[in-house]
Amino acid sequence: MARMAMAQEKLFALRREIAKIEGNLPERFAAPEAGAGSEAVLRHYGRLASGAGFSVTGAPRLDSALGGGIPRAALTEVSGRATRDSGAVCGFALALAAIVSRTGAGAQSARPILWICLGDMLSEAGFPYAPGLGSFFGLAPDKLLLARAGRLEDALWAAEEAARLGSFSATILELRGNPAKLDLTATRRLHLRAREAAQPVLLIRHSAEPEPTAAPTRLLVSPAPSPLREALAGPLPRSIGPPAFAATLSKSRTGKDGTFVLDWNSHDFAFQERWPAGERRIVRESGREAQNPGHLAAASFNGPDSAPAARARLALRPERRRAG
Amino acid sequence: MVSCRQNNAQRIVALDERAEDFGLKPGMGIADARAMYPDLEVVEADPDRDQLLLESLADWCDRFTPLVALDGRDGLFLDISGCAHLFGGENAMLAEILCRLTHQGFDVRAALASTPGMAWAAARYAKGDCNVSPGQEETALAPMPLAALRLEEKTRVGLESVGLRHVGALIGAPRAPLARRFGRKLVTRLDQALGMVEEAITPRLPVAPLSAERQLAEPIGTREEIEQLVLILARTLRQDLERRGEGARRLLLSLFRVDGAVSRIMVGTSRPQREPLTVAKLFHERFSALEGSLDPEYGFDLVRLSVTVTAPFEVEQTDLAEGTACEEEEFSLLADRIRARLGEGAVLVPVLAESHLPERRARFVPFGKEVGAKEAIDPAEKIRPIRLLEKPEPVEASAEVPEGPPLSFRWRRALYRVARAEGPERIASEWWREDEPGPTRDYFRVEDMEGRRYWLYREGLYGEKTAPRWFLHGIFP
Repeated sequence: MARMAMAQEKLFALRREIAKIEGNLPERFAAPEAGAGSEAVLRHYGRLASGAGFSVTGAPRLDSALGGGIPRAALTEVSGRATRDSGAVCGFALALAAIVSRTGAGAQSARPILWICLGDMLSEAGFPYAPGLGSFFGLAPDKLLLARAGRLEDALWAAEEAARLGSFSATILELRGNPAKLDLTATRRLHLRAREAAQPVLLIRHSAEPEPTAAPTRLLVSPAPSPLREALAGPLPRSIGPPAFAATLSKSRTGKDGTFVLDWNSHDFAFQERWPAGERRIVRESGREAQNPGHLAAASFNGPDSAPAARARLALRPERRRAG
Repeated sequence: MVSCRQNNAQRIVALDERAEDFGLKPGMGIADARAMYPDLEVVEADPDRDQLLLESLADWCDRFTPLVALDGRDGLFLDISGCAHLFGGENAMLAEILCRLTHQGFDVRAALASTPGMAWAAARYAKGDCNVSPGQEETALAPMPLAALRLEEKTRVGLESVGLRHVGALIGAPRAPLARRFGRKLVTRLDQALGMVEEAITPRLPVAPLSAERQLAEPIGTREEIEQLVLILARTLRQDLERRGEGARRLLLSLFRVDGAVSRIMVGTSRPQREPLTVAKLFHERFSALEGSLDPEYGFDLVRLSVTVTAPFEVEQTDLAEGTACEEEEFSLLADRIRARLGEGAVLVPVLAESHLPERRARFVPFGKEVGAKEAIDPAEKIRPIRLLEKPEPVEASAEVPEGPPLSFRWRRALYRVARAEGPERIASEWWREDEPGPTRDYFRVEDMEGRRYWLYREGLYGEKTAPRWFLHGIFP
C-alpha cells in the first residue's frame, strides 16, 4: 500500500514536471482528491465568471468541459469535416474570437483581428464579408486585417509574428486539409507564441482529419439546424433563427469531451446550449438572461437533435462524412 | 555575321571585323556573301533579345548615374552631370566605362559632350578624340557627314542631292530656306547638337529623390552581409530624410552583381518610415521571401538603397496614454513586414461603401491605402452572410412555385435539399450608376437539411425574355 502511494507520488511529481515543460496547468495532473477544490467555479449573474486566462462561452456544460472556458492564451483548433461546412466552422471560430475579445485584457479598446487565409480558401469559401461579420460577431470593418498567404510556411510565419506581437485580439489561421508541415512542432510553436503573448490563436481547419496537435483545445464543428426566430407571439414557423453549431470537444484540458448543440446569441456575444429534446430545461437564473430568450426556442424543428448522432458518427466512421 | 530578312531576301545586318576585312557590307544579300565565302557563319537576328541585352546594359550603367536612357536599338545616353567627380572626373569615368564594357566583351564607342546630339554624333562619326569640350561643338561637327545629325533618310538624301554633304555646309547656310525646303526637324536637330536648343533625355527609370550607395572593393554575397549593408545605408538615408522632414513610403534596393546583372528589390510601407532598423527588418522579410531566387553568384560590388516615394513625416508627440498610437504603429509595421514577405497585395482591409448591391457594399483594399471615412455597421442592417463569394456561382435550383424559394439546389456538384427558407429580399441593380442595369435579384436565406445556411438569389424575373437563373452568393454561419 505504502509502495503504491509512493509510486503515485512519484508519478504526480513527474506529471507536474511534464506540465511545467508543456505549459499546461498542473491541476489536471494533480491527484484526484487534491483537485477536488479546483472544481469550484465562480458564478456571476448565473453564469460562470471568467477566470484568469479563460473566457466563458456561456454554455455551462461546455465551459466546465473546457475547464472554465475558452483559453485566452493558447492555440485553439476548430476543425470541420468538409469544406462545405465552412460557414459553420468559420462562424464558430469567429464566435470564439468575439467571446475572447470581449472578455480578455484590453477589451475596452477593441483591438483588430488578423485573419490569415492560406491558398485558395478565399476563392473556395468566399471573402469575409464585413456587414455580416459586424452584425453577427460585432466585428467592426476597421478591426479586421486579412492576409493571404500562398504557402503554408508564410502563413505560419505570419501567424507566429502576429501572435508574438500580442496586440491583436485574436489571430485566425485558416487552411484546408492536413498539410504535412502543420505537424506537432508547428502547432506547438503557435501555441507557445500564443501563451507568451497571452493572446488567442485560432486555427481553422476545413475538411481535416483529426491528427495529433499541440493545441490544448480542439473542437470539431458541424452545422446544426438553427432554432426558430422569436417573435412576440412565439416562434415563427419555418423561420431561420440565430446561428447554430454542433460542436464536439475532441481534446480539452480537463480530458472531458462531449457534443454540444450551441446557439449563438449575437446580442450578448455568448453561446446558449440547446438541451436535447428529452431533457429540455429552462435556465433562468437572473434578469439578464431573460432579455434574450433565444434559448427558450424549441429544441429542433427539422429532424432529430443531431448532437448524439454526430458524436457517434465521429467515433465510428469519419470517412464517409467527407463527401463535400 | 548576323542576317535578317529584309524585302524578301536574307541580308546582312551586322558583321564582325573579320567579315569586314573580307569586304562584306551590311545590306548585302546572304546568298551573295555565301557565294564569295562558303564557310561564313550566319546567325539569325533576334531584335527582341538585342533589346533585352541593351536594357540589361542600361541597368548596369545605372551604377554610374541614375539618368540612363535608351537610344534606338544600339545606343545609350548617360547623363553624368554631377556624377563625374565620384569617378575621378569626366575622362576617368569615360575610360572606366569603356574599359569595363570592353572586358565584358562589347565593342563600344563612346563620346563625351555637353549635348546629347553632339555626343551621339561624336560617338559615331568623330575621327580621333571623341570628347568634345563645351564651345567646340561647331568645329567638331563641321567635318562630319550629314548622318551625324540624326536625320531621316529622306531628308538626308535630299540634302545630299543638292550637294550638301557635311554638317559644316549646313551651319553656315541661311536657316529659313533650309527649314522651308527640308522641314523644321532639320534645323531643330542642328540646334540640339550645337546646344542652342535644350534636349532632354528620357531616363528609363524614375529618379529617386534620395539614395545612398556603397561601392565594395570585395564583392559580397551572403544575406547577412547585404542586410548589414542595408542597415548602414538606411542610417545614411535617415539623416537626409530628417533634413527634409519626410519619411519613406517605398524603398528600392539595387544590387549590382559583378557580372553586370542588377537585382532590384522593392518594399513599401503603410506609413512614412525613417527608422533604419525598421527598414532593415522589412528587407529581411523580403529576402526571406526571395530565398533562392536571389542568386549572388560572384557577389555584388555595388549596393544602392533609394527612397522612391516619400511622404511628410509627422513627428508624433507621445502623450501619457501612449498605448493606442504605439499599437497602431505596431500593426502597420507588422502589416508591412507581412507585405514584404507575402507580396504587395497580401494584407487587405475591408472598406464599406453606400450601396445596396452586396458586392459593392464592402470590398477589400490593400492595407495602408488612404481610404475615406471609416463607417460602422448599422446594427439594424439586414441580415448578411459572413462570407461572400468573389463571384456569385451559378447553381441548378428547382422551386416549387415560380416566385418562391428553391426546394433544392446543386452547388459544386453536391445536392442540397432546402429545409427552410426566408425571403425574398429584392435588390434591384443601381440604374443610376450603370448604363446598362443588370437584372433584378431576389435573395433568399436558405437552410439545408443538415443546418448549412446559404444566401441564394434568383436573377431576373419570370416572364422576361431570358429565364431566371439561380446563383449562390454568400455563406451564413
